[in-house]
Amino acid sequence: MSNPVPQFRSRIPRLAEVAVERARLTVVPRRRTRAARVPFVALVTIVLLGGVVGLLLFNTSMQQASFAATALEGQADTLAARQQALQMDLDRLRNPQRIADKAQRLGMIQAGNPAFVQLGTGEVSGQPSAGDPAVPFRIWPSITKPAALNPRPHVVTVPPEGTLPDAQNGNRSGNQTGNQTGNQTSNSGDTGDGKPAHGTASGKNRQNQQSHQPQNQNQR
Amino acid sequence: MGFVVIAMALSVFGARLVQLQGLDPNSYAEMAAAEGLVEVDLPAARGDILDRNGEPLADSVAGLMVVADPQMTADRAPELAKFLYKRLHVDYASTLAKLREQGSRFEYIARRVPSTRATQVVDAAAEAGFKGLDTRRDPLRDYPAGDVAANLVGFMGTDEPLAGLERTFDEQLAGTDGSAKYEVGGGNRIPLGDNTVTEPVDGQDLHTTIDLDLQWYTQRVLRQTVESSRAESGFAVVMDTRTGELLAIADDPTFDSNAPTESPKADLGSRAMQDVYEPGSVEKVLTLSSLIDLGEVTPRTRIQVPSQLDDGGTHPIHDWFSHGTIRLTLAGVIAKSSNIGTVLASKRFEDGQLRSYLESFGLGRRTDIGVRGETPGILPDDSLWTPQTQDRIAFGQSLSVNAVQMAAAVNTIANDGVRISPSLIEGSATTEDGAVVGTDHATKHRVISISAARQTAHMMERVVDPDVGVAPAAAVPGYRVAGKTGTAQRVGAECGCYDGTFTVSFAGFAPADDPRFTIYVVVQNPGNGGGGGSVAGPAFAKIMSYALRRYAVPPTGTPPSRLPVEW
Repeated sequence: MSNPVPQFRSRIPRLAEVAVERARLTVVPRRRTRAARVPFVALVTIVLLGGVVGLLLFNTSMQQASFAATALEGQADTLAARQQALQMDLDRLRNPQRIADKAQRLGMIQAGNPAFVQLGTGEVSGQPSAGDPAVPFRIWPSITKPAALNPRPHVVTVPPEGTLPDAQNGNRSGNQTGNQTGNQTSNSGDTGDGKPAHGTASGKNRQNQQSHQPQNQNQR
Repeated sequence: MGFVVIAMALSVFGARLVQLQGLDPNSYAEMAAAEGLVEVDLPAARGDILDRNGEPLADSVAGLMVVADPQMTADRAPELAKFLYKRLHVDYASTLAKLREQGSRFEYIARRVPSTRATQVVDAAAEAGFKGLDTRRDPLRDYPAGDVAANLVGFMGTDEPLAGLERTFDEQLAGTDGSAKYEVGGGNRIPLGDNTVTEPVDGQDLHTTIDLDLQWYTQRVLRQTVESSRAESGFAVVMDTRTGELLAIADDPTFDSNAPTESPKADLGSRAMQDVYEPGSVEKVLTLSSLIDLGEVTPRTRIQVPSQLDDGGTHPIHDWFSHGTIRLTLAGVIAKSSNIGTVLASKRFEDGQLRSYLESFGLGRRTDIGVRGETPGILPDDSLWTPQTQDRIAFGQSLSVNAVQMAAAVNTIANDGVRISPSLIEGSATTEDGAVVGTDHATKHRVISISAARQTAHMMERVVDPDVGVAPAAAVPGYRVAGKTGTAQRVGAECGCYDGTFTVSFAGFAPADDPRFTIYVVVQNPGNGGGGGSVAGPAFAKIMSYALRRYAVPPTGTPPSRLPVEW
């Protein structure tokens, strides 16, 4: 296999001596070339500038993100608070007391006894009854006046007309009946005072009674 | 010349440099850091208290307090006070005084305002040109249902829970606050600055076995009962027979958890757990079911009941109705609620038997369902247990209970003789004392045999019978109801003796042959002279009817008990 190649080589020099001579390899003299500085400097500058600007942009965008985060956090807080407030409203609207109140205002009453229908057999069990509107279901506490605003009545008995001379005595007996309904202290104090005006003449019974009432009120 | 000036200036700078860097550099560094450093609390959300269907009995809402700086508000105080009165519904006069407070720079205007509203109001004030208003964080606890279950749930004080479940389970509900520390510039977080965050741990919800709607209905029926009988107070317990879960514990008078200070302090606890009282005749079913369990008697046992019974004590025992010698069966003793008949039957107990039965029914021991201040009741000690004491205990005197305890005891008969410990907490929760409570820890044990329980239930059905029983008003039409009335003398707080007032009650369950609910209604000192059958009975019937309707429990359709009451 190696034979054909030497034969081929030996034949060629003879045919093109000059060309072969020219084609022979010689050492190339060293050529000093200078790489262009401008692109390199430009590149470095670009890298540097790019880095600085990029960093700046990155920082700026992080700042922007921070602003956005703060704004969004605030928004989230507001929305969460709103959701909670609405939930609270909803829970209050669902309060059984409120629903019962609304229902009663619409004229609804408590249900009576139910009946049950067995779907399989069609059998009805239970004693169904309609609700009874005559039996009120009170959902609000009954209002009772505080004792301080609800004093016992004062009873002042006026002696019958004509019983004269001792109007003071008449007064006293009248007050004693009054005592039975209560407010003993103020009534007894009333007679105890023994104001001269009380013991005056006959026709002044009515006036007498009038003078009692403001006095009682003062002593309350 | 110029050189000298420059040298002087530089030496001044140099001296300042030495002062800053050489003498005390750290404090300056700290001051610089503190300038932009913010530390904020991250509040943990307080857990909700929920009913069995997840409806909130108590929930937390982000709230704010509105505060004012009087130095800035004093000038336009009247206008601002009017504005705040309109928008925040605060009191005009006191707000005006606060806005004008001399020498103060901080006044609370309104506290616990839902944050959306507070922000709106403060923004609107700023827009209207008012200065000096600000908001601060102030978490808000809301009780949407107001007074519903308030006696159980309790309420919050300014900073900490003060009563009820809120306080007992505070550790679970409160959670742990977190905190965040970061640097800010112009109100925004500096991205690469110091930043440490401790995340808050939110509180966990507390699930109760209460049914909000049933609880509401029970409370309203109870209030109507207490008001119309002019009673002092009342309480009612609704219990699921099979699981021992408490569906409602109502108290009256009650209070609004949103405004606890408006009610007297005495109304803020749970009377159903804290009131200790003598159960009266309701206890007879425990005595007689124990006797049946021992095989000593049957519902048809014949008893000759004299008009009074001298048991060797100072006072002979009477019945609530005067009679000559009558002949009652044991069922009749229950139906007519005869003290004498019960005492005569209880003579068949041997020493100590009644006490151990009552102990097994759960009397004299706390139910520990997680409600604060529960009374254990009083079951006299063995050493104090004389025959005379036993006679009285047999019909419900000389021993004391709390309402949940008694409901659980009656529920034992409803539940075929097995006592299930009552529970108020769904799942499991730890109280502040470290006790674990809840449905996960419910225990059951047999007290009396199935047959004894069923026979007792049969006897109790006769109580609501319109012909032979004492409490026809407790009947629920269409259903078989078993129950027992109680009218007990009350022991006055001062004298320690019976003070002439009464505790009237009704305990029962339905449907009698397959019970689903046990309901116990107690009314203290009714002013209309009513007894257990006429006061507590109708309330029982209303609540039972509602519960059966609500849970769609059909009537069993079996014929009711026809046990003879006389012979």
